[in-house]
Amino acid sequence: MKALENQRVTAIPARDRLRFVGVLRSEFIKLTSLRSTVGLLLAIVVFGLATSAVLGVTVEGAGLPDKPSVGFMLDQVTVGTVLFGQLIAGVLGVLVICGEYSSGTIQSTLIAVPARGAVLAAKAVVLFVVVTASALVAMFGSWAVTYPMFAGFGIEIGLTAPGVMPALIGGSVYIGLAGVLGLGIGTVLRSVAGGVATVISIILLLPIVLSVLPASSLVRNLHLLSMSKAGDAMSSAPDDGMVFLDLADGYVSSGAGWLVAAAWAGIFIVMGTIQLRRKDA
Amino acid sequence: MIRAEALVKHYGNKVAVDAIDFTVRPGQVTGFLGPNGAGKSTTMRMIVGLDRPTAGRVEVNGRLYREHSAPLREVGVLLDAKAANGGRSAYKHLLSIAATHGIGRARVREVIGLAGLDSVAGKRVGGFSLGMGQRLGIATALLGDPATVILDEPVNGLDPEGVRWVRTLMRNLAAEGRTVLLSSHLMSEMAQTADRLIVIGRGRILADDSIGNVIAGATHSMTRVRTPDAKRLMATIAGPDVGVSVLADGAIEITGLTTEQVAIAASAAGVVLYEIASVSGSLEDAYLALTAGEVEYRSSNTAGTGAHE
Repeated sequence: MKALENQRVTAIPARDRLRFVGVLRSEFIKLTSLRSTVGLLLAIVVFGLATSAVLGVTVEGAGLPDKPSVGFMLDQVTVGTVLFGQLIAGVLGVLVICGEYSSGTIQSTLIAVPARGAVLAAKAVVLFVVVTASALVAMFGSWAVTYPMFAGFGIEIGLTAPGVMPALIGGSVYIGLAGVLGLGIGTVLRSVAGGVATVISIILLLPIVLSVLPASSLVRNLHLLSMSKAGDAMSSAPDDGMVFLDLADGYVSSGAGWLVAAAWAGIFIVMGTIQLRRKDA
Repeated sequence: MIRAEALVKHYGNKVAVDAIDFTVRPGQVTGFLGPNGAGKSTTMRMIVGLDRPTAGRVEVNGRLYREHSAPLREVGVLLDAKAANGGRSAYKHLLSIAATHGIGRARVREVIGLAGLDSVAGKRVGGFSLGMGQRLGIATALLGDPATVILDEPVNGLDPEGVRWVRTLMRNLAAEGRTVLLSSHLMSEMAQTADRLIVIGRGRILADDSIGNVIAGATHSMTRVRTPDAKRLMATIAGPDVGVSVLADGAIEITGLTTEQVAIAASAAGVVLYEIASVSGSLEDAYLALTAGEVEYRSSNTAGTGAHE
């Protein structure tokens, strides 16, 4: 170790400063160095592929369309990744932050990076990118696995067909946003159990509860603004010439879905940031 | 250099740290002592910004901790030995922290070697013993080659070799001109390691001085003698400021006179002495005397633990 003057005045090499790109790298190392988090990332791929494969094998019983249909193909290909992926990603998001609280790692993290907003921002960026990438593998893998099965019935749809790419990418981004939602919720609650319960409630229960409320249809249609409804919209082929969002008519365009899902994730990340900054670690 | 000014921390209605001022200087090991719940850990947490002061401020190397462009280069901290996820390997844990500051793999391996963790670096932290956890925590603290090192109870759970390693490490870091703040409940260890002491009780500073002055100020040095002629010696040295107590084994402890004065008096009176020794208080005596009224959680059988009176 090098000797130091009593008052350290030596310039620190620029590469040894605290920088956001370093915080990103740190969060990536943390996310990929735990069996639990890597397992959940794999689970997104496995559940997505397996569901599509099962649907593909049994597609004959699903009421085959007369001619190749983008909508039919997307339903079969995206449903597994979206349904399972949103919950797995949400749980992963909760674990990423609550695991730090339960293990005490949060201390090491905040000592290395005292700028707490930067910590959460880096976690959100890394989680979003990694989860979205896993979902993309699941989505495009699902398309690839089922393509020959659909081809057997002459209803195969290529990736270049209108609306296919936006839906596969949009559905994957939705899974990434579900992870960020979980991260925000976990940061607010600081508890794995509470965080997981809240994620499941918001993604699965909220739309169901809203849609059966004994209230006016307009109130009931608020469920169209739920996270999972946004996911359905994002993983569907965009319709041309339709309205953006029509609550009375029960229509959410894929573009509106992107906005709604981003808003859900964003609101909880903002709440989490406020909480993380205000409270003692 | 750590400087606290009128530092206050409340948790709800409870006052954990009550307007303390202190300075921890470079080039020496400063011991931070106090009973459980006295506010040591809270103070350390405030130094690195984990807890926000209710009032006052604490600066490290002239700035608030969070204002430094490379915090890990300024301060290395061990607060909680197991502040690492049990499912992550020691190497990845250190690597993730190093990455924030662009500190390379070479330095990570270096601190692993320094802490004697080479053989377990790839193993998951969950399987570590308390002592190995402490070594990992110390490795983490050294990662940024920091100018200031803060260690909370670093020798807990360490084997004797590890205890000696920590002691030597602290001494060397101080000798290199770094600021070292060390808390421990092991008084003998503290006495061997620290140059200076800050003693805290119920959130207030009870003593802030060199270790010698703290001991001298809180204990009385005394002279212990053995003699077959105790009565005559006691009559000879009797005086208003002189205290004499006879121990169970027959030894006599005399306060208020120097060892020389006792020896001369005995000689003049023709009293034979089998043994005469100067006994100074220990750090433990001084600590217990200082904190006697400040202990938050006291066990019931500690009566009579004050310094020799």
